[in-house]
Amino acid sequence: MQRMIPVDKLARPEDHILLPAQRLRKARGEQGLTPGNAMPYEDDFLKSRMHGICAGEFQAMEAAGRTLYDFPDAPWEFQLDMARQVWDESRHAEIYMKLLEYVGSYYGEFPEGEVLWSCTQAEDPAARVAGINRGLEGLACDVFEQLIRIAQKMGDSTIERSVDYVLADEITHVRMGSKWMRQLTEGDPERLKRAQAFQDSIDDLFNFGGGRTTVEQAGHIKQRVNEKEIEIDSSITIAREARLLAGFTEEEIDRLIKGFGKSSAY
Amino acid sequence: MKMPDLGERGNVTGPQPIAQIVEPPAAMLAAARSLLNALMRGDRAGVEAMTAEQAREDMDRIASEIKPGRYDKFELIGRGRISRHYFLKARLTGTDAPRFTIQFRLGEDDGKWTVREALNLTGRRSGWTK
Repeated sequence: MQRMIPVDKLARPEDHILLPAQRLRKARGEQGLTPGNAMPYEDDFLKSRMHGICAGEFQAMEAAGRTLYDFPDAPWEFQLDMARQVWDESRHAEIYMKLLEYVGSYYGEFPEGEVLWSCTQAEDPAARVAGINRGLEGLACDVFEQLIRIAQKMGDSTIERSVDYVLADEITHVRMGSKWMRQLTEGDPERLKRAQAFQDSIDDLFNFGGGRTTVEQAGHIKQRVNEKEIEIDSSITIAREARLLAGFTEEEIDRLIKGFGKSSAY
Repeated sequence: MKMPDLGERGNVTGPQPIAQIVEPPAAMLAAARSLLNALMRGDRAGVEAMTAEQAREDMDRIASEIKPGRYDKFELIGRGRISRHYFLKARLTGTDAPRFTIQFRLGEDDGKWTVREALNLTGRRSGWTK
């Protein structure tokens, strides 16, 4: 049975533009934008960020489904958790499609990258959940917490509540990942080390060269929203409180802030 | 798809949806049509004139794979933007000709839209294929 299927085997509508990450970065760079994701101070920030998240929810749904399918000999409770996650991610994708419409966009307005799928490229279920549930869903905690704060400043309860609802699920996904990373590697420290190393590679991938910081330390920039002027973060922040709720340790969060992706078991 | 009711809107700022859909610029779509017509005609000079230096090699390769007059119709099947640049996916068709799919990015400088990168997607599963 083939595991770790390549990204271009994922089914997408023909009218979608699918691009490797380097082409996305190139297109942004040529326009004088930061090469990675849309930053909070850009005109298109809300649309672009929600689009990226929506695509991420689809890929996370596919990833959890793939994990369920790839490891038929894993404990039944593990499979049940993966099945639940598929259902969660499908609701999230639906919520973000509605939010896209709410901010005057639609799924497919922007190209979809493939980088999130790289989080699935592990042969071992322990590494798979370490990468997806702890690495990727940990990043989701950061991104969602920032969106919630921006929505609060905008006075937009629709975005605030919708994203908060999704964040609650992501926190349970991180916890699920921690639980299974630990249980599946019990008595096998080498396997645990490999799973952690895989998560480290995901954390490094999304740490943007150490360019992320805490909510408190983030720079701010003024932006007009209709009649209001609000101050928003000028970079992607790390959500300490949400990550603590998800079960990350203070040490792990500090390492992320310092630009190291090294995780420890707990 | 119609926007569903998302609940309490009392303290939401401004009209809803809170921003408008960005329509693709007419000049960009016109440039795409000109480019595709030039490709189908085999007008290499026309294609080159619409291609930025950085994409010339790729575009030249694509143009050389399209036999002049073999295709007589095109369809823009996909569009996605990154800020002010547009990626377009187009399919060329012709009688007895295998379908030809191309994806390219258009950007504008001083009112002129030019190709910044191009990919031949014919026979590939998706643009994700590296």
